[in-house]
Amino acid sequence: MIWLTWRQHRKQAFFTLLGFAALAALMVPIGLSMRHTFADLGLAECVGQLSDPDVTAATRDSCEAGFRRFTNQYGSLNLVAVLLLTLPVLVGLFWGAPLVAREVEHGTHRFIWTQGVGRTRWALVKFGLVGAAVVALAVCYGLGMSWWVDPLTHAAREGRLGLIVFDLQGVVPIGYTLFAVALGIFTGTVWKQMLPAMGITLAGFIGVRAVVAILARPHYQPARTLTFPIEGTGEPLTERGDWILSQGIRDADGTMVAADTQIMCPPGGKGPDGRACGAELGLGPGAYNWQLYQPAGRFWLFQGIETGIFVALAALLLYLAVRRIRRIA
Amino acid sequence: MDIALEADQLGKRYGRTWALRDCSLRLPAGRIAALVGPNGAGKSTLLHLAVGLLRPDAGAVRIFGEAPYDNPAVLPEIGFVAQDTPLYRDFTAAELVQLGGRLNKRWDAALARNRLAQLGIPPKLPVGKLSGGQRAQVALALALAKRPRVLLLDEPVASLDPLARREFLQSLMGSVAESETTVLLSSHLLADLERVCDYLIVLNAAQVQLAGAVDDLVASHRQLVGPRHDGGPIGGVNGVVRASHTDRQSTLLVRTDGPVTDPAWTVRDVGLEDVVLAYLADGATQTRHSEWGVPA
Repeated sequence: MIWLTWRQHRKQAFFTLLGFAALAALMVPIGLSMRHTFADLGLAECVGQLSDPDVTAATRDSCEAGFRRFTNQYGSLNLVAVLLLTLPVLVGLFWGAPLVAREVEHGTHRFIWTQGVGRTRWALVKFGLVGAAVVALAVCYGLGMSWWVDPLTHAAREGRLGLIVFDLQGVVPIGYTLFAVALGIFTGTVWKQMLPAMGITLAGFIGVRAVVAILARPHYQPARTLTFPIEGTGEPLTERGDWILSQGIRDADGTMVAADTQIMCPPGGKGPDGRACGAELGLGPGAYNWQLYQPAGRFWLFQGIETGIFVALAALLLYLAVRRIRRIA
Repeated sequence: MDIALEADQLGKRYGRTWALRDCSLRLPAGRIAALVGPNGAGKSTLLHLAVGLLRPDAGAVRIFGEAPYDNPAVLPEIGFVAQDTPLYRDFTAAELVQLGGRLNKRWDAALARNRLAQLGIPPKLPVGKLSGGQRAQVALALALAKRPRVLLLDEPVASLDPLARREFLQSLMGSVAESETTVLLSSHLLADLERVCDYLIVLNAAQVQLAGAVDDLVASHRQLVGPRHDGGPIGGVNGVVRASHTDRQSTLLVRTDGPVTDPAWTVRDVGLEDVVLAYLADGATQTRHSEWGVPA
């Protein structure tokens, strides 16, 4: 069985590795130059200094300026990062969907399942070997991307919990890739032709990922709230890297006056025409800034939960696929 | 005598349509059996049930006493060549022989190589580039290399030209002659198989119409020609399979259980083909007038 799996998929494996190598050849130099600039601008120290609440205004300003310069130079790479999000689903489309669907489409399942090895064992060995290969691939991808996006996430306000950077690094790519492959295998046992199976895998993957990322992820842990007055010195007291779910300015009685914004006036400051701070927004006395957020320290917890969800889904799909395979003739 | 393949009230349903129904037959070991029926009669369904690809919805099928579905222990006993002889088209014939060796405990690689060498199949060419006849021969060699006790072939010659058909059947007969292998091969044309089989199963409209040894079938059927028949009993006749009438004359194909001595009837021997056609004509027109919305 191992020989068969290798013989059947060696060409595919070769092209996958080739693609991966090409990607690495492109990304590694960019990553290196990005890290170089990051160090040159002194941003590595800034990350430490800015997390200290007693940081001096001068340091803060110079660091902000450095981050701005960095973002101006490399900010567009965030678009590249979005493209890289598609890698797990590509693996699912080209490794998962054809695994059963191609056998059935060509009728070769009737040849291979009537040899001495039963089809259940055939399925378990194939799923196991392909699964192990894609996990190895996903680990490389996850580690590589963690290294690559690290400077970008430090430069971005949301840090590593942000919507796209979170999905790119750490252990979640393993969960996504396994899920994509399992989904491909399963759809291949239901729609027994490659193209429909691939199409449905794509749609299903995007759907499940979007639902989990938008609806489930903000609630893995109860979000924290932070309130602070609208008058004060310097920046709002948010740790860099917190994932802000929603924010706004609330009145003294707690009603939201202005959503999706924060203000900060100097103490005792007046507006241009002598009105109180925020009066043009309709703020009364006692209004305060409010935000709902997930702290940056929860990154690995969230990674673990998200990976767990997708690995569990993958296991369920593979179980269903084995059951369906026993019904295909 | 051993029973190689036994079906007992076997049925398989796709949705609400029965692809095979109430199928009961016992194929003795050592026979070369032809499974004949028009397209869609349920031949492939029966073979897929026998090889364990399908699970029966009713009744049971057994290969040497064992149910084949979800039972890999039966697989070594069965050599199976599916319709259109599917093989991995990017594998060479030599690789397929190697593959069989890795997936089967009992595997006679030398037998497969000798056969393929005799037939002049190139070992290093992907089988997708071989002709249909050569590919069928590769599939047959792989099935034989399992040294199976039952060989099931689903329309093995359907896609071959007449010459390749003859070569394929000849080489099949040559290789099973010395062994005790039971062979069941299907075709929608009796003519393909008539010369090689000694047992016959006729399927039509999801049901077994006829099953038995060829000699017995030929011996127990007669054609009677005589005055117009109104359905009354005739001495020695067990049943009328098919009747056609003119104003004054009736031609009957009957199943006999003794000599027909009534002098009113002229008795003629029949060939296997006549018998099969008589059974197929019975119930062959399953047209669905109501579905087409026209009167029957």
